Amino acid sequence: MALKPPTPPSVTSLVCRGCGAPLEIRAPGRSIVVACGACGTVLDAQDPDGTIIARYETRNTVVPRIPLGSRGRLKGEAWEVVGYQVRRTIADVPFTWFEHLLHNPTHGFRWLVESSGHFTLAKSASGLPSTVAENEATYLGDRYQHFQTAKAETVHVLGEFPWVVEAGDTAEVDDFVHPPLMLSRERTGQETTWSAGEYLSGDTVWKAFALPGAPPDPVGVGAAQPSPYTPRSGTMVLMLTLFIAAAVLIHVLFSILSQHRIVLDQAWEFQPNSAAAASVMTEPFVLDGRTSNVVAEISTTLSQSWAYFTLTLVDDESDGSRTFGREISYYFGRDSDGAWTEGASWDRVWLPSVPAGRYVLIVEPEGPQPFNYRVRLTRDVPRPLFVWLAIGGLCLPPLVFWWRQWRFETRRWDESDHPMSGSSSDDE
Amino acid sequence: MTRAYAVFGTLVLAALTWIHLTGWSPSNVTEEKGIPKSVRDNPGSYRSSYGTRPYTGAK
Repeated sequence: MALKPPTPPSVTSLVCRGCGAPLEIRAPGRSIVVACGACGTVLDAQDPDGTIIARYETRNTVVPRIPLGSRGRLKGEAWEVVGYQVRRTIADVPFTWFEHLLHNPTHGFRWLVESSGHFTLAKSASGLPSTVAENEATYLGDRYQHFQTAKAETVHVLGEFPWVVEAGDTAEVDDFVHPPLMLSRERTGQETTWSAGEYLSGDTVWKAFALPGAPPDPVGVGAAQPSPYTPRSGTMVLMLTLFIAAAVLIHVLFSILSQHRIVLDQAWEFQPNSAAAASVMTEPFVLDGRTSNVVAEISTTLSQSWAYFTLTLVDDESDGSRTFGREISYYFGRDSDGAWTEGASWDRVWLPSVPAGRYVLIVEPEGPQPFNYRVRLTRDVPRPLFVWLAIGGLCLPPLVFWWRQWRFETRRWDESDHPMSGSSSDDE
Repeated sequence: MTRAYAVFGTLVLAALTWIHLTGWSPSNVTEEKGIPKSVRDNPGSYRSSYGTRPYTGAK
């Protein structure tokens, strides 16, 4: 049996050849380069002599939000922060984000990316997305929408990396989102790499690494931030449907079960300046059942004229009364706009909450011309207006909910290459 | 939000039932004799289409 060649011992520490600072290698055997936190010099992490790969004139002063060497548990696994890089877009107004490189001896490397207070935990994609169109990518069965494309450059590096990295590196970055998932493609002159990530809140990260203080306040809506509204949208639709159905059912039931009983239907003739016609009183009639409404309908033969009716419903037993007035006017004609009408020759009104009892109705009409009229009272008639008001009221909360959902997505996509509102904003 | 909506919707339905049951209405059924006689004698003068025209002052 042939002996395996001995594996060279991994480098676990170096001395920076730029400034003499001691450097700890936290992922020995895996890290390719290490960037000195004191001077920024990038060294070969696998060479015991620490060959210099890149050196900078200016001192590296970057301080990671999560210190190198911090350990925490994310997604049930233990991770140690071994590297950190600051990157920004190459644009008129550059946008900066921060990438912490995490290491676990069993699971390898992950990137914890912070962008405007939003975090994403990403790893190398297991295979290429199956479909990549201009505005879409499909990966592991999920369809991702293109969010933005940018040219990025590395501004600062610190700690260890499993690839050769140095400040000034550039890449073209494409982000695709399927909240809370995110897919990123990085293209350099030599290679294309894909990474898949999942959104994390700052609180989750701070708790995972037991960091002091509070996480940075998130600005706007993160590209992969899950909407708090989307999971409940279906529930709102279902509840709205059920509530409207219940409102209609209530009205239908009352329409079936209510009395709809005509208790008075009487006609009179009105003559101006006639004392006999100025006030008429009906025979007593009975309103029975529970306290409910009474519909008063007045129909007239008015034409190009008006009338005013003062009606008094008198409780024949208690002498209690309620008086109400109704005006009826009906005009019509033709002008340069065509035919027109105004008003109507009839009127209907719901008298609310009339107790049961024996009543008489006193009618006092007035008007400039003679006319005939009829008064009809119907007991206990459900009013459709209230069903429509109830449906309108029931629709309001879902409309507010959906507006806020739309607003959330608008704020997300306004930061992308595909803004929903047509303009970009940095508010909130 | 959904829980608050469930409570709100239930209250609306309860109010609808109570209104249908008692015949309650918030509106006043009395109409005032508010239209002046001059307007009554000039039908069409207060049609809505007239109201959309801006006032330009007396000629």
